[in-house]
Parts: sequence; structure tokens; C-alpha cells
Amino acid sequence: MNKRKVTLAAAAAGVLTGATGLSLLAMPAGAGQPPSLPPVAPETLVEQVLTSEPGAFGGTIEVDNKLGLPAIAEIPQLADGKHSGRVWTDGNGKMRLALPNGQSEQTIVDDGTTTWVWNSADNEVTKSERRADKPDAEPDAKAADPATAAKEIVGLTKEFSDISVDGTARVANRAAYELVLTPKASEKTLVREVRIAVDAELKMPLRVAVLTNGTAEPAGTVGFTEINVGPQDAKLFEFTPPANAEVTTPEAKEREGREKRPEAGVEQALRGEDPQVFGTGWDTVLGARIPTEAMTQVPAEAQGLVDRFTKEVSGSWGSGKLFTTKVATVLIADDGRVVAGAVPEQVLFDTIGQVK
Amino acid sequence: MITRQLGSEVRWMLRRPRTLIGLFGLVLVPIVISFGIWTADGDGGGPGIAAILRGNGMVVPIFTLFLSLNLLLPLVASIWAADGLAGEAQHGTLRGLLVAPVSRVRLLFVKLFGLTAMSLFAVTLMAVVGIIAGTAFLGNDGMMTLSGTTLTTAEGLLRIAFFVVLVTFQMVAVGAVALAVSATTEHPLVVQAATMTSIIVFQVLGQFSSLDWLHPFLITTGFPGLVDVMRDPIPFDQISDSTLLAGCYLLIGTGLAAIRLVTKDS
Repeated sequence: MNKRKVTLAAAAAGVLTGATGLSLLAMPAGAGQPPSLPPVAPETLVEQVLTSEPGAFGGTIEVDNKLGLPAIAEIPQLADGKHSGRVWTDGNGKMRLALPNGQSEQTIVDDGTTTWVWNSADNEVTKSERRADKPDAEPDAKAADPATAAKEIVGLTKEFSDISVDGTARVANRAAYELVLTPKASEKTLVREVRIAVDAELKMPLRVAVLTNGTAEPAGTVGFTEINVGPQDAKLFEFTPPANAEVTTPEAKEREGREKRPEAGVEQALRGEDPQVFGTGWDTVLGARIPTEAMTQVPAEAQGLVDRFTKEVSGSWGSGKLFTTKVATVLIADDGRVVAGAVPEQVLFDTIGQVK
Repeated sequence: MITRQLGSEVRWMLRRPRTLIGLFGLVLVPIVISFGIWTADGDGGGPGIAAILRGNGMVVPIFTLFLSLNLLLPLVASIWAADGLAGEAQHGTLRGLLVAPVSRVRLLFVKLFGLTAMSLFAVTLMAVVGIIAGTAFLGNDGMMTLSGTTLTTAEGLLRIAFFVVLVTFQMVAVGAVALAVSATTEHPLVVQAATMTSIIVFQVLGQFSSLDWLHPFLITTGFPGLVDVMRDPIPFDQISDSTLLAGCYLLIGTGLAAIRLVTKDS
């Protein structure tokens, strides 16, 4: 009889353990207690971030995106929601990125001379040689690494911001300082502040969060959820195309698919040889002119997509379409002028007249 | 004593005609998939692992098990769990076992062992047939992963073995919950219906993003993450989450079954 009670108690304990385990698994991982670190002057920290050499590391990056961008088929990782990827770098320009997309995967390997982009969904490898005149063949891949992205933000905006250190945080199980860049009052920008978690030991940015006016939650966060610092397996930075995969070059791909992407015109115009830059600091506006033939090439269904995400606007400068996200605004005039920036729409209306 | 009980349990399970028919059906899956991909035109493409099947026979076992985990394997596990207790109750043989001077907990563990052994056997059988069929129809040039790297055949076999263990564990977790249901009824069909309905309802619930607070509790949420075995290097976060989730189900199922068996009148 007693034995029966013991058995029942053990079984009930098993059920309880299982149920508790389920709820523990369902709970989001807590940030944990912020570590206590010696105080550091904001200026010193900025200097250290800019001069830090992260060296070799591997880790998992999570992007939490609430920007309100439309989902673009080629870069599903940009759509709203949480996305994660893995990154490895040897600290000398070789790197590997693994971006899962559902059950498929995109792998980007830069072995120092060649950039390979592998997409499991279409069994295709895109190979681009690093040329002397274009040292950065894959700027997108570089920007995905929060350490590099944060360094660039700090470098570009430090003189236009009030800089402070706002406590500490634990990111990817490492102690970090929270460096906060607040745009100066004179800056006409949508951004309220940018918080960068800087590793206390390596001075390498571990997480970047962008907060916009009027919201408490960050509009976007990019950060490591896991990182191991130190030399990485050299094999990760090599890529051999699988035997039965199709190998193409970006040029060939562009010839096939250019006109299918309505945003390509805008993107290309702004990224082109010399986009026109107006203003400085946070309210910098980029301007460009899309060639007229590119404007008319957009097929009907793509036009519908553009219309869905944009708003018709007009003013003394003319008329066009306005595309708004929480941190950036893009204005495309009907005559092909484009301006974009992390600014409210009024700044764009004021600037677009200057586009040549 | 205990080994004899375990052995006879597995022998009993293997002797049931429906077990053999079930195993035969399971084995057909990798063959049909390999044949289908072999005859299909086009240059492959598609979502997930299906896209890398062409010319990549070593992936067939992984793909087969990954597909079967959604319905087929839970169905088979529920059949075995149903036969284990409800089936015996229906034939009147459970009464004999309950009054016998054998601990009822031990009886449950014998049933759970039978379930585990048969699950491992079925999954391994599918994997082996998958390797053979995949190699025969699609060729074997090492194993190409979702990350675009090519593993040697030995490394590929290791991945398959790892996947077999992971899938078996998920199957046993489903089976343990089915055993708990099985302990409450005399009708094996009720057990199968209850298990399969739950699995299907879980999968439907998993589609609604408005219910995302519920998703971490559903065992089916853990299934897709197992595909990470085919990435290189393997990210273990999702795999360990799925396995822990299944472990919780295993504990709950076994516990409930034990409570029911111990309190059951003989």
C-alpha cells in the first residue's frame, strides 16, 4: 500500500516536471542580471569601438525587425519579424554567413579572393571574383555583421550625437556597456536614439538597437545571441560548389532578372556611382535620378506592389510616391528623382528640389 | 527475468500481422520518393530538403524520415501504444498481467521498452532502405548539405544515425502520451484516433500566428527544427529545443500512464 503511494507520488512528480519543463521552454530567455563593470567615459568607449579589431569569431545573430518593410522575395531576411543567421570570420576579411530561410538555406562564403553565394532552394551558386577596382564585392554581407554595422554608425554619427553610457547589459553571455547615441536636438531625424552594446573586454559591438520617436520598443535590433571568440575552423572559409549545382555570375543573373525587381531601380540609383548627398549627420538625405527608361520598365504587377506600400503625395516640388518605414522615408517623384533618409517626409519635400 | 519480459514483448509485437504490414508500408516511402525524384523532370528546386535531393541519394533517408515524422511515424507509434495496453485489455490479457505478482510500473516500462525498440527498428529500417534506394536511383556522391557543402559518405552516415536517434525519440514521446490514453480505455481505435487527432490539431494550431503563445507547448512545433541536421556545421539550438520538448511529453505521458495503471482495478 505504501509502495503504491510512493509510485503515485513519483509518477505525479514526473508529470509535474514535464509540465514545468514545457512552460520553461515556452518562456523567452531572460536577459539576466546586468553585470557590474568599472565606469568608462563615453568618449573613451567610442574611441575604443572605432579602433577595436574584433579578430576571429563565430556566432549566431538575431535580427528583430519591426521596420514595416514589405517582404521582398530575394531577401526574406529583411521582412518584419525575427530572423537569425550564423556568421564566422577569421578577422582578416574571410567570412562565412549562413542564413536559414524556412527549411532552405543561403550560404555566403568570402574566401578572400572570391565570394560564393549558395542558395539551397534553387541549387545555385553565384560566384563573384573580388576585383582590384571593387574591393568590397559583397557590401550586403558585411553589413549583416552587427560589429561592422555598429562601427560604421558610430563613425558616421558621433559628432552629431550626444554620447552617453547607460549602464551595462549581458549580450550573448558576455558583459557589455550600453553606449547610447542620441541625435542632437538640431538634427531633424526619425531616430530617437541608437543603443549599442559594446563588449567590455573586446570593445566590439555585440548588439545595435534603433529606437524611433514615439515608440518604446526598438524598431530594429541586430545582435549576437551566441558568440565564441577565437580562431575558427579554416574549412569554414572555403567553398567548393556542389557537383550538380549550377554556377553563375552576378552579371549573368542580373541580365536575366533585372526588370523583375521594381525596387532595383531605386536601389541602384541611390547606390550608383555618385549619389548626391544633402546635409550632414542624422538628417543626411541621399538623392538620385532614375533613368526614365527604368521607370517605365516596371511591369504591371510590380507596379501594383509598389502602389500598395506607398502613398501618393504632391507639393510645390511636383508629385510622386512616398514610402515610409519607422526609421526611413523614401520619396520617388514621378519624373524619376529619388530622395531617401532617416528623416520625416517634410525634410524630403524640402530637399527634392535640389536633386539634379 | 526482465530481459525475458522485454524480449517476449518485442517478439509479440513483431508477430502481429499489422506490425508487419505497417513496417512494409514504412519501407515503401523511401523507395517511392527515390523513384519519384528519379523519374521527375526539371532541375529540382523547391523548398527545404526536397531541393537538394537530385543526385544526392544519401539525403533520401533524412528527407523520408522528416516527411514521415509529421503523420506516418506518430500513427505507427500510436498503433503500438494502442496494442500495448488497450489491445491487451480488449483481449482480456491485461487483467492477467495486472493481477500477476509483477509490479505494474515494471509492466509499463516493458511496454515503453517495446515501443522504443520497435520505433528504433522501424526508423532504422526506413533509413537503411532510404540509403539503398537513394543510392540506387539518385546516386551517391557523398552527402550534400543545405549549406552547400559536401560531406563524405562516412560523415553522411553519421548524420543519418544522429537523425534516426532524434526521430525515434520524438516518436517515443508521442507513443508515451498514446500509452497514457491506452491505459484508460479498452478500445485500441480510441487511442489511435485520439493521438492522430491531437497531432493533426496541433499542426493546424501551429499555422495560426495569432496563437503563437501556444506554439512552444506543441510537440509538432519541434518537428521542423530537426532539419538543422542537414545544415553544416549543425546548429544545435533548435535540435536541443525539440528534443527537450519531446522529453517533457515523454515524462508527462509516462507519468500519467503510471498513475492510471497503478490506480486501475484489476
